[in-house]
Amino acid sequence: MKRQLLFIFLGIVTNTICSQNVSTGTILKEVVVVADQRIAENSTGYKIRTLKDSILLKNTESFTALLRFNAPIYFKEYGAGGTSTASFRGTSASNTAVIWNGININSINSGQTGFNSLTVSLFDQIDIRSGGGSIEYGSGAIGGTIHLSDALVYRPKKTIQNQFVASVGSFSTYRGLYKFKMSSENFSLKIGFSYNQSENDYKLLGTRFKNTNGAYHNSNTTVTFGYRTSLFSQLKLYSTNYKGTRFFSGELPNPKAANDKYKDINQRNLLVYTHEKDNISQELKFGFLTQEYQYFGDKDSDNFNFGRTKRYLSNYSIAYRLPEWHSTITSYSEYESVFGKTDGIVEKNRRQFSQSFEYQQRVQNLFSFDIKVRKDLNSDFKVPVSLALGVQSKKINHVSFRANGSKNYRVPTFNDLYWPGQGNQNLIPETAMQGEFGVVFKKNKMNIDVSVFYIDAKNKIVWIPNGDSERPGVWTPMNLANTENRGIELASNYTEVFGHHAVTANVNYAYTIAKDKRTNTFLMFVPKHLLNSSFAYRFKQVGLFYQQLFTGKTFTTASNSKDFIISSFFVANIGGDYSIIQNKNQKVSIGFKVNNVFNENYVTQPRRPMPNRNFNLNINYKF
Amino acid sequence: MKITKLVSTLALITVLFASCSSESVVLPKGDYETGFLISGEGSSAGTGSVSFVSNDFDLVENLIYKKVNLNELGSFLQSIAFDDDKAFIVVDNQNTITVVDRYTFEKRGEITTNLFTPRYMAVSGNKGYVTNWGSASDATDDFIAVVNLDSNMVERMIPVGNGPERIIENNGKLYVSHKGASTTNNIVSVIDIASEVVQEVIVKDNPDELFFNNQGQLVVLSSGRTIYDANWNVTGNTLGSISMIDVASLAVSNELVFASGEHPSLMVLENDTIYYNIGNNVYAINDTATSLSNTSIIEAEGYFYGIEVQGDALFTLNANFSDVSVLNVYSIETKAKTQSKEVAVGASKIYFN
Repeated sequence: MKRQLLFIFLGIVTNTICSQNVSTGTILKEVVVVADQRIAENSTGYKIRTLKDSILLKNTESFTALLRFNAPIYFKEYGAGGTSTASFRGTSASNTAVIWNGININSINSGQTGFNSLTVSLFDQIDIRSGGGSIEYGSGAIGGTIHLSDALVYRPKKTIQNQFVASVGSFSTYRGLYKFKMSSENFSLKIGFSYNQSENDYKLLGTRFKNTNGAYHNSNTTVTFGYRTSLFSQLKLYSTNYKGTRFFSGELPNPKAANDKYKDINQRNLLVYTHEKDNISQELKFGFLTQEYQYFGDKDSDNFNFGRTKRYLSNYSIAYRLPEWHSTITSYSEYESVFGKTDGIVEKNRRQFSQSFEYQQRVQNLFSFDIKVRKDLNSDFKVPVSLALGVQSKKINHVSFRANGSKNYRVPTFNDLYWPGQGNQNLIPETAMQGEFGVVFKKNKMNIDVSVFYIDAKNKIVWIPNGDSERPGVWTPMNLANTENRGIELASNYTEVFGHHAVTANVNYAYTIAKDKRTNTFLMFVPKHLLNSSFAYRFKQVGLFYQQLFTGKTFTTASNSKDFIISSFFVANIGGDYSIIQNKNQKVSIGFKVNNVFNENYVTQPRRPMPNRNFNLNINYKF
Repeated sequence: MKITKLVSTLALITVLFASCSSESVVLPKGDYETGFLISGEGSSAGTGSVSFVSNDFDLVENLIYKKVNLNELGSFLQSIAFDDDKAFIVVDNQNTITVVDRYTFEKRGEITTNLFTPRYMAVSGNKGYVTNWGSASDATDDFIAVVNLDSNMVERMIPVGNGPERIIENNGKLYVSHKGASTTNNIVSVIDIASEVVQEVIVKDNPDELFFNNQGQLVVLSSGRTIYDANWNVTGNTLGSISMIDVASLAVSNELVFASGEHPSLMVLENDTIYYNIGNNVYAINDTATSLSNTSIIEAEGYFYGIEVQGDALFTLNANFSDVSVLNVYSIETKAKTQSKEVAVGASKIYFN
């Protein structure tokens, strides 16, 4: 209980290393249910970093900024709030999968998730799992997966909880969110609404310009509903709507030239029915997701380019436990039908059926392991069989070992296949073999996880001119590159409480060597060193925190030309909060945050400086 | 191209003259006087930039603007125009023309207002004429910006048809090829500078490179285009051509039409020979030829994105947009590759300085 509260109050750095049980929050005998069961139950041998809602609410600038300071992932951002892509363990942008309540939501058109094209402050929890996960999450789960979860809470006594968070900050930034939660023994409802807007016209350090044409506004509504229809069964509904408008800011030397605008309209719905009795668990899911972007080359014009997808999916799983064997066998069957079109591509339909089996076993009290296999039947191309193995040892003297190996894939996107005049319908999926070994140290208040990883990726899709001899001079995508990524990841956290004082420290470090095997050069936009850490201190009603990020230099050309590099940078934020009221019925706190406190001039994309020092004041009211 | 040719010839004469009278005191005009410039469009991998290569190829210096001015040009560097002592660097996504000393590359000024996706510029007297695509979603707002080169301000805008690309000035008239911006077009505009009267000549689809031949005809290269159905299957082609236009009557007097499916994209004139490409093959014909050539003289390497010829030397650019590009120079006579140098990211144009 105390630990739980501490986390809520410190509100920054609650890291659960190797968490195998997401719903640990069982104070008050409440039951927390998440849709993405597999992240919790099928991650033997994997590292998972969990960000609780308290962290999400302290890093509301953007999804990009949240992960940049809290996960070992590199983000390339076209100016703050602009297009943002991830590189997880040195992999390419389409090799990090974003999972919404158990469903992979990477765009069918681009294979990626734009990390500034959705907001995440309404989620209850975000888990970041390092390593391959195509077995569970399909295409693109190569470097790692990022899981966005809405939690449903059942409590013996009916409770209603309201939370209101508002902030005002530099660059005419206003954010607000409201969460309503109602729980009873058999009924759970969560409604959330968030709205953000910003002129985002920060000073471009070292120039006479401001970030021109960088404004954005977005709104997000979520409804999550759960009902226990019987002792054994439960019906859950997850629904979310997002609408965002961003202007794309310009680059130096003349950022005033920027004139484009981008809209995202996303809708996701998921209905889940679960039944658990004796040793059999069953789950049936139906999902309907739509995703649309509109790109206005001229913001003053009504003309736009667009991409629109509709996705229908159904999923049935059945798990059978053999208690006497300490094992579980599970079957997952999934059927998905995707319709995608853009202003240049007539509607295409991709259908996919996938079947996977997982076998989990605990061996004495020594170790446990998972074996997983998946086969996809895809209407567009042949997808290779995916395999995965995870092993987790029992703790001995605070030390345990974990290992995993998997074969994963990334299918060609609609853009790769059908881009007007340039697509290549002969593409095959990229595949990646990978392995990881980790040592975990866990003692009281200290967690340390050190791991080494290896990824060998084949047939990576690269767009090149003259790729197709039939189309000279035309840029086409080809299965061309083979890459090899090796590295070390370290994650650690430490918590200490003495009297009224509490201290938390958290460190993530990633060392990545990612190379093109043919040329033996470093992959572009992959820093060798990436370090983020945070420190928090609390004394009674007062909390303070500090977070920092160091990113090593990156090359921007394939040959690693010294003329084209992005320099390393170090950026830090500080913040604090003060609880004005804190009792059983209500909590009110006010907080502040100073981003880029040292006013560092840094870029993650050439000629696009990131924000200068900026301020934010917030109020958090829970009743 | 013709203008740069003339200027380069003049420069060459100056150099020759200078070397003949080495006794007299001729101060060098700058580090970048005796060689040629290569402009690269740039990309997300690296800024648009200019490389300098000395005439003897011993010296290759990349990013010369950045070196001299400690600043980048941004993307995409479309083209450079010149007057006697200045170079005008046109960067389309930046709506910017940066003015530098053409021999020292020190920044002299910039034009950042009233340009909208500028592409190419022609210089006549103290005026610059800049083709502009205008809004990406409006095919009717394209224009020629008239720039006062003393004040670096856009003085006037002359509306023209969709997608104006190359522009040259000759005898008080501007000649503009309309490649069609992001769509297509098939006209050459002829603009009387004094009256601003615009006339149009219809040529084959997507006209791009243009110059005057020794007979005073306007020579225009049209690429033609590929036609697709709704599923982007190729269903046909429109034809490319080298069209020779009689500028007095504005009639196409001679049209060398390419075979269906051949889409030339590069053309240059050296003395009385026209060099052009089909794919990576370079062909040469006389500038009064009445038919195209069947024999490739040289096959360029890689992504053939820029061409120039000086005497026996054929300069080709193998452009790379995720890395530095490569300049390959061939002897036309022996067909041997004589030089290979790493130059700007997305290298597209060669200018003899």
